[in-house]
Amino acid sequence: MAVLELQNVSKSFAATAALKDMNLAIEPGEIHAIVGENGAGKSTLIKIMTGVHQPDAGQIRVEGAAVAVRSTQEAQSLGIAAIYQEPMVFPDLDVAENIFISNRAEGAFMNWKRIYAAAARLIEQLGVTLDVRRAASGLTLAEQQTVEIARALSLNVKVLIMDEPTASLSAHEVARLLKIARALKAKGVAVIYISHRLDEIFEVADRVTVIRDGQHISTKPIAEVTPDGLVKDMVGRAVDTHAVKTAANPHGPAVLRLENLGRAGVFSGIGFDLSAGEVLCFAGLVGARRTDVALALFGIAPATEGRILIDGAEATIRTPQEAMARGIAYVSEDRRKLGLAMTLPIYANISLASLKKLLGGLGLIDRGAEIAMAETYRTQLAIKSPDVRVEVGKLSGGNQQKVMLAKWLETKPRILIFDEPTRGVDVGAKAEVHNIIRQLASEGVAVLVISSDLPEVLALADRVLVMREGAQAGILDIAEATQERVIGLAAGREARVA
Amino acid sequence: MQRLKSWEGILLALFLMTFAGNVVLAPEFLTVQNQVNLFQLSIEKIIVALVMTLIILNAEIDLSVASVMGLSACAFGYMVTQGWPAGGAVVICLGVGLVAGLINAVLIARAGIPSLVVTLAMLIGFRGFARVLVKDQSMGNFPDWFTHLGQDPLVGPLPLALILFVVLLVGLGVLLHRTGFGRQIVVIGTNAEVARFSGLNVARVKTTLFVMSGFVSALAGLLYAARLGSVRGDAASGFELDIITMVLMGGVSIFGGKGTMPGVFLSILIILNLRNGMALTNITGHIQTGVIGILLIASVLIPNLASDLRARRAKAV
Repeated sequence: MAVLELQNVSKSFAATAALKDMNLAIEPGEIHAIVGENGAGKSTLIKIMTGVHQPDAGQIRVEGAAVAVRSTQEAQSLGIAAIYQEPMVFPDLDVAENIFISNRAEGAFMNWKRIYAAAARLIEQLGVTLDVRRAASGLTLAEQQTVEIARALSLNVKVLIMDEPTASLSAHEVARLLKIARALKAKGVAVIYISHRLDEIFEVADRVTVIRDGQHISTKPIAEVTPDGLVKDMVGRAVDTHAVKTAANPHGPAVLRLENLGRAGVFSGIGFDLSAGEVLCFAGLVGARRTDVALALFGIAPATEGRILIDGAEATIRTPQEAMARGIAYVSEDRRKLGLAMTLPIYANISLASLKKLLGGLGLIDRGAEIAMAETYRTQLAIKSPDVRVEVGKLSGGNQQKVMLAKWLETKPRILIFDEPTRGVDVGAKAEVHNIIRQLASEGVAVLVISSDLPEVLALADRVLVMREGAQAGILDIAEATQERVIGLAAGREARVA
Repeated sequence: MQRLKSWEGILLALFLMTFAGNVVLAPEFLTVQNQVNLFQLSIEKIIVALVMTLIILNAEIDLSVASVMGLSACAFGYMVTQGWPAGGAVVICLGVGLVAGLINAVLIARAGIPSLVVTLAMLIGFRGFARVLVKDQSMGNFPDWFTHLGQDPLVGPLPLALILFVVLLVGLGVLLHRTGFGRQIVVIGTNAEVARFSGLNVARVKTTLFVMSGFVSALAGLLYAARLGSVRGDAASGFELDIITMVLMGGVSIFGGKGTMPGVFLSILIILNLRNGMALTNITGHIQTGVIGILLIASVLIPNLASDLRARRAKAV
């Protein structure tokens, strides 16, 4: 019998139907992947299963019995819990306290000895090691997720929903999380695994459900699907997810040259040449300090040693203004905090980095030109929005990414740095972003891409620079770059791989 | 955007109600002289409120404005009493305002101390300095030209201060809503890190704003001295709260990034008309203050409740 079953569930917000006649049955002890583009209805589905939203029509059954899930508390008492990309832990409490935060069975006085022992047992069941007395504030994102999972386990979870759990994790943390998912499965817990990363799904899932436009498209055992078939189901058309390498592999004079670049205590010894039209990818584990190199180039946290040469001449870059004056643009990995003013309209975000060009007499903004410029990018980059006056915060992740890209394209950069350009972006938009990056390179822009997504690195790069713990572990030509070699360099196991 | 537009609609309705109430209560209310007086009674506050709008939109606050007004007024009184030429004293006072603003700006924009802390300290510091200058005295005997400027019409029925208010209202409105500098104020107020990562010079914008605030506050302090004809150590004391109230009631978010100059103008009109109407019906000053306080709470609550209600209705559909 299915542990959790949705029967003909529908849900609309205002006039838009988020879910239409959704049917889904989750079996105990299975890892059930759910995939779909952003906006396909995955979030609504989760919210209905966890009691955040109530369905307009249809029924939810837990172990065969029809139930109403009116709040997350009710969902929890039914054995349904969810963990998200950003875990919720209380930083000032320790691991054990966080695990038992909602456990009220203890009464007024705590038996701390028993709590610590129980917490340690839960962590052990997950097959990982973590000191239960450590303060949560010092935990990595992956460790915080472990705490959340243990918390769910302490509440006798039957169905655990993992929503994009690996979006911000490094490769070995991902492996650890997949191990935990398997441990849960072995305990008979059903895991609903939602991810954009197909390789993970093929590694861990038993069955996979595709949803599109709020509708159930297919549910199949993993052995019966292929990545291409899955993507086709997701977008409703065939998408080329593979690299189309531009024929040109230019090695002209270096536009950008780094010599032994470093920032005290952060990174050191970074050196490479980058030609016009070349794509250099920065690979490495999370914490390898790749973003710090980008921040030094962009003048946010300037380098303290070594040299930056642009067109062969030494350049001092201490502020973003100086970097931009030299034709450098940096597309940040964090749209929400660093990339976009979410409450402002699309046009104001696109014009932000090149406002000067739009200023007429008395510093007045030429509104007509501003809107026209934004409209051009809306068409050119296929930003899905009826109007450029819409708030950026209302767009999907992929479209927000395009707005951010438009902002930097308008500065007409010669050196463009992308930091995790497709994080949290769905498959269709991901392919579009990749095409844009290739297009830019073919137009002669020198491109740096920082990415934790190895297939992406291998698809985009002409060369791959691998960083490890703030140092340059090696540069590989694309011909010699394989997943194994890159991971080997990144994790410091090159000798064994080579 | 939608929220702001509807908020300005509410403000407009409120203004028309208070205005109509005043006309009914006192038919002579509609004369030009009365309308001028209405503005004159709070003219220094409403001038400073215009600059405060830019500062709060920038997600900062300037609590020191009233103390700068007091300092400028007292410095003027001190210098005139010492026998200095009043014209030179005016220039020096405006310079004092610039310096006061620059001190705030350096501590906030360069040293990175929160503006709430810096300007609270300066609220105390500048006021203390003003009191040291005038001690317990009341300093008057200003030259005639100076008090004329503060009290008598300059162009038609309009006194200098009211002309300055209108010029600043239009000027700062255009600056905020139409210029690149205004756009930078709003973006920084929305998210200063996004602004920095887009190559905006955040420190320069903040510095400009606080220097502007210091200068305009000093100017308002001089207008205050000219209008009253004498100054004391507590000149303009406590004005900062009325000023901030006007701005927030105008729909400017205390977290920055949201708000408009027309909204603040409407809020100013409402407060002026409300105070006038309550005075006409013999409601005492304390109760007037209470009413304004309730209005402020409502101004923050109503938009929140409205968006809550909208969300609930969307959910119910």
